[in-house]
Amino acid sequence: MKGSRCLHQLKSLRLLSHAGRLLPPAAAGDNGALFRLHSSSQLGGLQCPQREVLRHFHSSPACTKSQPAGFVQEEDKTRDKSLVAHDDLFQQVTKEAKTKATFNKVIDVYIKRDIRRRGHVEFIYAALKKMPEFGVEKDLTVYNKLLDVFPKEVFVPRNFIQRMFNHYPRQQECGVQLLEQMENYGIMPNIETKVLLVQIFGEKAHPMRKYQRIMYWFPKFKHVNPFPIPEQLPEDPVDLARFSLTRMANDWDAKVTVYQLPCTDITESGAEVTLPHIVGIQSPSQMEALAKHNPCRPVFVEGPFPLWMRKTCVYYYVLRADPTPPEEKIEEPYDPERCFIYPLQLDLDLGRDLGDDESFDVEDLDEGPVFAMCMTSQGDQATLNQWISGLQQSNPILGQIPTLFRLGAGPHELQGVGDADSASRSWFSSHVHKEEAHPGEEAEAVVEEEPRRSQGVKQ
Amino acid sequence: MMNMNRLIVFSRTFRIGQRLLGCHARHAGQEELRLQQRRSIKTHSRHLAYAKDLFLGQVNKAEVFPYPEIGNDELEEIKQFVAPVEKFFSDDVDSAKIDREATIPPETLQGLKDLGLFGIMIPEEYGGLGLSHTIYARLNEIIALDGSIAVTLAAHQAIGLKGILIAGNEAQKKKYLSKLASGEHIAAFCLTEPGSGSDAASIQTRATLSEDGKHYLINGSKFWISNGGMADIMTVFARTEVEVDGVKKDKISAFIVERAFGGITSGKPEDKLGIRGSNTCELSFDNVPVPVENVIGEIGGGFKIAMNILNSGRFSMGSSCAGMIKKLIELTSEYAATRKQFNKSLSEFGMIQEKFAMMALNAFVMESMAYLTAGMMDRPGIPDCSLEAAMVKVFSSEGGWICVSEALQVLGGLGYTKNYPFERFVRDCRILPIFEGTNEILRMYIALTGMQYAGKILTGKIKEMKKGNIGLAIGMVSKKLRTSLGASVDLGLTGKDGVVHPSLEDSAKKLEQNVSLFGSTVESLLYRYGKTIVDEQLVLKRVADVLIHMYAMTAVLSRASRSISIGLRNHDHEVLLANTFCNDAFFKNNYWMVQLQKHSPENNDANIKKIAKQVLENRAYICSHPLERTY
Repeated sequence: MKGSRCLHQLKSLRLLSHAGRLLPPAAAGDNGALFRLHSSSQLGGLQCPQREVLRHFHSSPACTKSQPAGFVQEEDKTRDKSLVAHDDLFQQVTKEAKTKATFNKVIDVYIKRDIRRRGHVEFIYAALKKMPEFGVEKDLTVYNKLLDVFPKEVFVPRNFIQRMFNHYPRQQECGVQLLEQMENYGIMPNIETKVLLVQIFGEKAHPMRKYQRIMYWFPKFKHVNPFPIPEQLPEDPVDLARFSLTRMANDWDAKVTVYQLPCTDITESGAEVTLPHIVGIQSPSQMEALAKHNPCRPVFVEGPFPLWMRKTCVYYYVLRADPTPPEEKIEEPYDPERCFIYPLQLDLDLGRDLGDDESFDVEDLDEGPVFAMCMTSQGDQATLNQWISGLQQSNPILGQIPTLFRLGAGPHELQGVGDADSASRSWFSSHVHKEEAHPGEEAEAVVEEEPRRSQGVKQ
Repeated sequence: MMNMNRLIVFSRTFRIGQRLLGCHARHAGQEELRLQQRRSIKTHSRHLAYAKDLFLGQVNKAEVFPYPEIGNDELEEIKQFVAPVEKFFSDDVDSAKIDREATIPPETLQGLKDLGLFGIMIPEEYGGLGLSHTIYARLNEIIALDGSIAVTLAAHQAIGLKGILIAGNEAQKKKYLSKLASGEHIAAFCLTEPGSGSDAASIQTRATLSEDGKHYLINGSKFWISNGGMADIMTVFARTEVEVDGVKKDKISAFIVERAFGGITSGKPEDKLGIRGSNTCELSFDNVPVPVENVIGEIGGGFKIAMNILNSGRFSMGSSCAGMIKKLIELTSEYAATRKQFNKSLSEFGMIQEKFAMMALNAFVMESMAYLTAGMMDRPGIPDCSLEAAMVKVFSSEGGWICVSEALQVLGGLGYTKNYPFERFVRDCRILPIFEGTNEILRMYIALTGMQYAGKILTGKIKEMKKGNIGLAIGMVSKKLRTSLGASVDLGLTGKDGVVHPSLEDSAKKLEQNVSLFGSTVESLLYRYGKTIVDEQLVLKRVADVLIHMYAMTAVLSRASRSISIGLRNHDHEVLLANTFCNDAFFKNNYWMVQLQKHSPENNDANIKKIAKQVLENRAYICSHPLERTY
């Protein structure tokens, strides 16, 4: 275990080391001490000036109070400048193409540009913000690469006082923020992340704690959903409808029927007519319930109701009825001549004892039966009528039951949200700077953005 | 017809007696209750409820002690019949061939007919052998050596023609029984349908009266009919419209249908795991005209008939299994004695010895139960031994399955090949827990019948207790205290008026303890669940298991006591077997009864139900694979 972990560390180390020097195989059997030695020697060889400069800031316990203050002031001054620079960096690339390759290129450019990595915290914040734009927000290697921007060793507390107080809080906070963004996108860190964090912040720093918490909860929660939604939803609306309906029905016997496939027709007058898809689902028990429905009472087609599948919203319609009034409920009388072998009921005047009565007193609200569900791209009455007539083939009783349509505002009414979406995005971009200044809000903002955009997509 | 009427009258009076008891019990203490009960039952020709009385914690010893004996003339009969049948089965029946070719050769069938085996229990006046239940059970020991033949014969006479025998009128008996007895006609029992096993409400086959009122037209299809392909006479159950109190209702009726009536088609014989030589197929009825005089009993009375046929056919499985196990012991012991491993013969290994002891024990218990039950059924009057018969069936079918598989195990890999008959026995034996009522449903029957009986008598007492009758409660508590302090229970099996031989005294005491504990367990179950106990299948299963084992203990005690008394050869071995079995059963019973207590740690019911629910909801084993993903 330890050996393999060490190997991992070495591998990542090789990744890190710009020299790309091969380590002797004997090092694999050794532990962290050796590893630290190697890395520091490499880093020492490579980044000597930077290291010495930074060391100067934090390692000396005897340094005066004014020194850190001065550092902060200096930071404040440079922040705005560097921010612009970093944004520029991304902005320049944006003109080419927003891909993983270009994103990586930006990071490489930044690393090469300044050996001291000045303003790396700001750079990382800016990069985190831009990640979704480049479509790399779910890429673990990119996060690791971004984490690699932090200079190594320098933030590791080296005595108990440093360990006791928040050592390099801004850097630690930035590291936590990076991990948090990973968490929000559901990306699980790997051993390389851990190695980097240990190198950057040390074994017991906040980012490391964050990492440990993630590793504690993630495996537990990531797969906790007993009804997982696949990463990639089906593209085809019919397949998507089929998938969502079976998901909602939660009945193994339920059968999906495609009543109409989407197609485009040209009528005689030359007008183009697009026929919507109609996909329905019904289970045998629903059919049974419908067959027993009192034909004097109407059934209702209701909808549309939204259903969220990850970032996609689909709409469905149900065929339902009002709950049966108590006077119409007939309980099947006990037939003693039902079972050939044993009595199905005992002829006794004894009920269940209170101590064994395990039923809860739940206010049981009868919501009325749902007989079938369907999904269609066009929720007007004509289309839904087509669904009902399709249903009628397997449920002949529908011919006798009055069917009422109670359709709410269709998904089309919600199209306005699309505009709102674009508006919000422009608001968003105009507030980028502001939000960058408060890194804590950023992840939240990213999450918020998702539903809005997807609504636009779905239409 | 007459028999049926008597049965109905009888059960009705019995029910009245029970109701009377219920009323009295409300005002009476337990002593008085017992008195009442005796009084009311004395009006009948005989006590008939050994197993049911166990639910009250009573041993009705007059019913089962001494072990039933047969007369000398019957003994002669047995000697006369058994030898030729045994000879026929060892010389003329090639079971391997029957199994391989999935058919019984006509000459074998003819041989069986010549021996009269198609009409063992049909009275002599109708051309049958007219033998008793006991001799029927004895013959079945031999017949069971070939599963296919046993099932063919059982389908013919244990259920196929039983309807005519127990509920048919004189004309029907005269017309059909003689040809059935000779084997000229073969009978089948048509109850099961594609959508209906034990559920009468889902029977779809319908009989409608023709316009002239002379015929019923039967339409529908029946499933898994043994002898379906070769039967000439069938007992068919179908739905008929009956007017009850001016309301038209569907009720089941039984009909005698001849294949010659036309309109009957049989499907392809089923390809089965075992009993391959027996013919099982689907039968379709397409407007089969059945004359009204072929209705068995009265129209609409088919349910009772079906129940009685099914109840009466089960007792012989005990002797069949015992016969089979005895044969298996012969076959395997030879191998165990000759096969050497590490310079020792197999028979010297403890684990092999255990298997033989287990087989001997099982054979002994089954035999004892089967002949005790057969003896009870042979007594004058119309004894209702359906509960006992069901217990014999459950015990022997499950014991048989274990014994057959252990016998195969003795031979190891050899037993698994077709060179030896063991694999065939295993396959044939697997049907036993399934047919004639699955063991699950029979356990429900066993437990619920007893619960109903005990519930009727105990209702008053339990209601008093629920109301908070201090006297009763104190009585209960002191009784429990006494038993928990180790006071011995004396139900009269041993001692001055004892019926059990002193060398079995310990075992008898164990039975008495079990019975007494069972009585109070039943009482507490009734107190806790009342009539909702119907839904507590796991509870009922244990109740049934305890009862079955108590009945088995009774049977071996009774039999071994008799064997000692009349000095049968090797009766010391019987005593050994009886004591061993009782010891084993005593512990099992105690364990089950502890499980029946509410909060006992042994009781895993809630977890079992939860596991099953989660699995069934997903229709799969839901744990993720240990290799599914990494951390």
